[in-house]
Amino acid sequence: MNYDVIIIGSGVTGAGIARELSKYKLKIAVLDKASELPSGASRANSSMIHGGFDDKPGTMKSKFCVPGNKLWHKLTQELDIDFNPCGSYVCAFNDDEIKHLELLLEQGKTNGAPGVEIISGDKLREKEPNVSKEIVAALWSPEAGIINNFEAVNALIENARLNNADLFLETLATGLLFDEKNNIRGVTTNIGEFFAPVVINAGGVHSGEISKWAGDESFKIIPTKGEYLLLDRTTKGFINSFLFSCPSKAGKGITVLQTAEGNLMSGPTATEQEDPEDRATTPEGLAEVLKGARRLVPDFPVKLNITTFAGVRANTESGDFEIKVLKTPRGFVNVAGIKSPGFTSSPAIAEYVADLLKEELADRIKLIPNKKFIPERRNIPRFLYLSMEERKKLAEKDPAYAQIVCRCETVTEGQVLEAIRRGAKTVTAVKMMTRAGTGRCQGGFCCPRVAEILSRELNIPLDEITRHGGESKLLAGKTKEFLLKGAE
Amino acid sequence: MENNNIDVLIIGAGPAGVAAGIGAKKEGAERVVVLERDWDLGGILQQCIHPGFGLRTFREELTGPEYMHRFINMAHEAGVEFRTNTMVFQIDKDSNSVWTMNKERGIECLNPKSIVLTMGCRERPAGAIRIPGTRPAGIYTAGTAQRFVNMEGYMPGKRAVILGSGDIGLIMARRMIWEGAEVEGVYEVMSWPGGLRRNIAQCLDDYGIPFHLQTTVKKIHGTDRLEGVTVAKVDEKLNPIDGTERYVPCDTLLLAIGLIPENELTRMAGIEIHPVTGGPVVNDLLQTSNPAVFAAGNVVIVYDLVDNVSDEGLIAGANAAKFAAGKISPNVKKIPVKGGENVRLYSPQFITGESDTIIYMRVTHPIEGPCKVTAEPGLYTQKLRYARPGEMNEVRLKADVIKSKPDLKEITIDIKPL
Repeated sequence: MNYDVIIIGSGVTGAGIARELSKYKLKIAVLDKASELPSGASRANSSMIHGGFDDKPGTMKSKFCVPGNKLWHKLTQELDIDFNPCGSYVCAFNDDEIKHLELLLEQGKTNGAPGVEIISGDKLREKEPNVSKEIVAALWSPEAGIINNFEAVNALIENARLNNADLFLETLATGLLFDEKNNIRGVTTNIGEFFAPVVINAGGVHSGEISKWAGDESFKIIPTKGEYLLLDRTTKGFINSFLFSCPSKAGKGITVLQTAEGNLMSGPTATEQEDPEDRATTPEGLAEVLKGARRLVPDFPVKLNITTFAGVRANTESGDFEIKVLKTPRGFVNVAGIKSPGFTSSPAIAEYVADLLKEELADRIKLIPNKKFIPERRNIPRFLYLSMEERKKLAEKDPAYAQIVCRCETVTEGQVLEAIRRGAKTVTAVKMMTRAGTGRCQGGFCCPRVAEILSRELNIPLDEITRHGGESKLLAGKTKEFLLKGAE
Repeated sequence: MENNNIDVLIIGAGPAGVAAGIGAKKEGAERVVVLERDWDLGGILQQCIHPGFGLRTFREELTGPEYMHRFINMAHEAGVEFRTNTMVFQIDKDSNSVWTMNKERGIECLNPKSIVLTMGCRERPAGAIRIPGTRPAGIYTAGTAQRFVNMEGYMPGKRAVILGSGDIGLIMARRMIWEGAEVEGVYEVMSWPGGLRRNIAQCLDDYGIPFHLQTTVKKIHGTDRLEGVTVAKVDEKLNPIDGTERYVPCDTLLLAIGLIPENELTRMAGIEIHPVTGGPVVNDLLQTSNPAVFAAGNVVIVYDLVDNVSDEGLIAGANAAKFAAGKISPNVKKIPVKGGENVRLYSPQFITGESDTIIYMRVTHPIEGPCKVTAEPGLYTQKLRYARPGEMNEVRLKADVIKSKPDLKEITIDIKPL
């Protein structure tokens, strides 16, 4: 298969680059090993759009965070992504921590983060009455917000596809192809070879390995696990924004936030590990999160916990992003080590990558604007958030919108069918695209129903339906099958 | 299928809802409508194809569908209207308007004279107990697995571990064995079983399934499909004890770690929820904090036997019909009930004394020996051979006894060893 650009990885970085490059007349292939998007760190993170005060001036992070924040404010409109521009607070418990706030304030000014200011603990408690009485001051960042990260990645990739990019799921890049001059010719994968003069490495926690294939070992990825607690949506309003702790020796500190959907959430830990795929939560990690959450919010209602999860971030030794076009082989671009504030920075990184291609790889591909580019994308209708009139109209037009599949999040069959039309093939894909199964019963009610719909629509036997691709089949076979086998 | 002039609207056609329909019709309500989100009536009892239901009501051992069949026939005879495939997704706080959806009828708004909440309960998911580890396929609540096996005809896995000893977990242990799967064991964090003793005997002991008390699942293994769990003994604070871990290979983990009254609609309607039962606060008329709204069955408090659920449904339906007819005074005196020694939860929480009533309760700790349940001051005493958290106890109050004590300010219930 011949392309102009191959992007390895469809996290927020890869999907963002795909969407940006789809503004040009290019044949784009996006490869991802997962069965649904997002996977990896773009699925399991704090869903924070940072204000831009936290990054040391002069770093790549400081360069992209503030512009990324601005771009998200626009993108969430264009691409119909849930976004709560709620602002964030960094909370200080003592004089040392106030000094840290002052440092962050200075950094924020240098980085061009708008509206950042230090407020008193009492003023914070006016806005957030459930925070600790021991907080003495806070750094307020009004431009920060919380995004629906599941929607964001799907929106970016859907829009890129609408503008002719191709997405290949369950496609694991296994190596690079080089031409006779040892320049980039393509990518080998589990499903065959993909050819293109330019390959972009947006491989997240695997970006270090992929970079090695091109001979660049100048940086190392340190997989860093972050564990989280997620609470029931009935906690909505307990906290209305995003609360940071001051970083200490133990790490950046545990945060407490309200997700874009209104769930209370807390995390992450920061545990370095060897295995980039180890997303298991641990007793120690979960205890650390709870302790940190209670420090900020003493009555953190952990009784309403509905799930725990962990993501693995692509930390680098330098602590900064690794974005560059390699001199040799020609045609290889690293967009590696994208971790916090990676989600925030991603749209700015995508623009920067497009500029890099224009400036440094013009001999390999030409970026000619695509006049037919469609910037908008509409989300699957969110029944939960519609007015009664809108609901009635939708149900009249399509009766499938008058059938609930997920009772906790009020997701209708119409939404599930639309997710399947947009490419969902697994229970988790439907979850990522509709939020069916993200609620308080965690799929107890809707999982069998979603599986039935997938089976019916995709014409796959129910016992072949998977939770998240690979060997993750939901069922082991039909009843009586084991008995018959036993009798043989 | 008119939407106007509904006297009593009942939400959910499980055992409580169907009985409420019968109760309301018997009390003389003209139009009684029961809404059911599933395509068939019966609620969760549809998938409970094992025997053991109705011993008290019918003096027979019936399966869940058989038990419901009898009540559904009675309801049809009584003239109760049913609407299946109809889900209530909203109740408006002030107007008590009930919003429903149905593929044929679209979205509709009903304004009944009174409402009975009979939505039942749901199972606690794995996240509620924060088991560390991965998130593979193969982890189900026992009820979800029961649906797969009994309704869909599919097996969730070949080798199961069961965490928690609630009744559905015990029933599913046996069901898995019957289908040729292995059940490695049932693990219960407490030092007593969560379910009925008869289910321990009939579902575990009879099949040689090991039952481990004071043991929990400490870790989940496997990325795609479940590969195994680490189990460990727990200390008095229910924390895993280091050094007692054991790895158990399995492809399925079934959870029977508790049931929670399903009260999303109740909350939407602004009705007061009891912090311990998780259901609406009710008086002995089964009336909630919203006088037009009644509630019965597992939506109020999780019962052990379906017979009790049906009994409560009949009462709630009858009182909802009375309310619709303007026969319930808003100014009736309500005496609060207080849970005393060894009482974990109970319902109702207020007594009017309008008629004889039963307070259903569960103990916090088991008492394995003679004990007594009392309601003070001097309202009720009953000796018991034992009291166990898995089995409910009852306080029976006589209306004439309550009426004879006009100064009664509070009723305290206790269960104490003799």
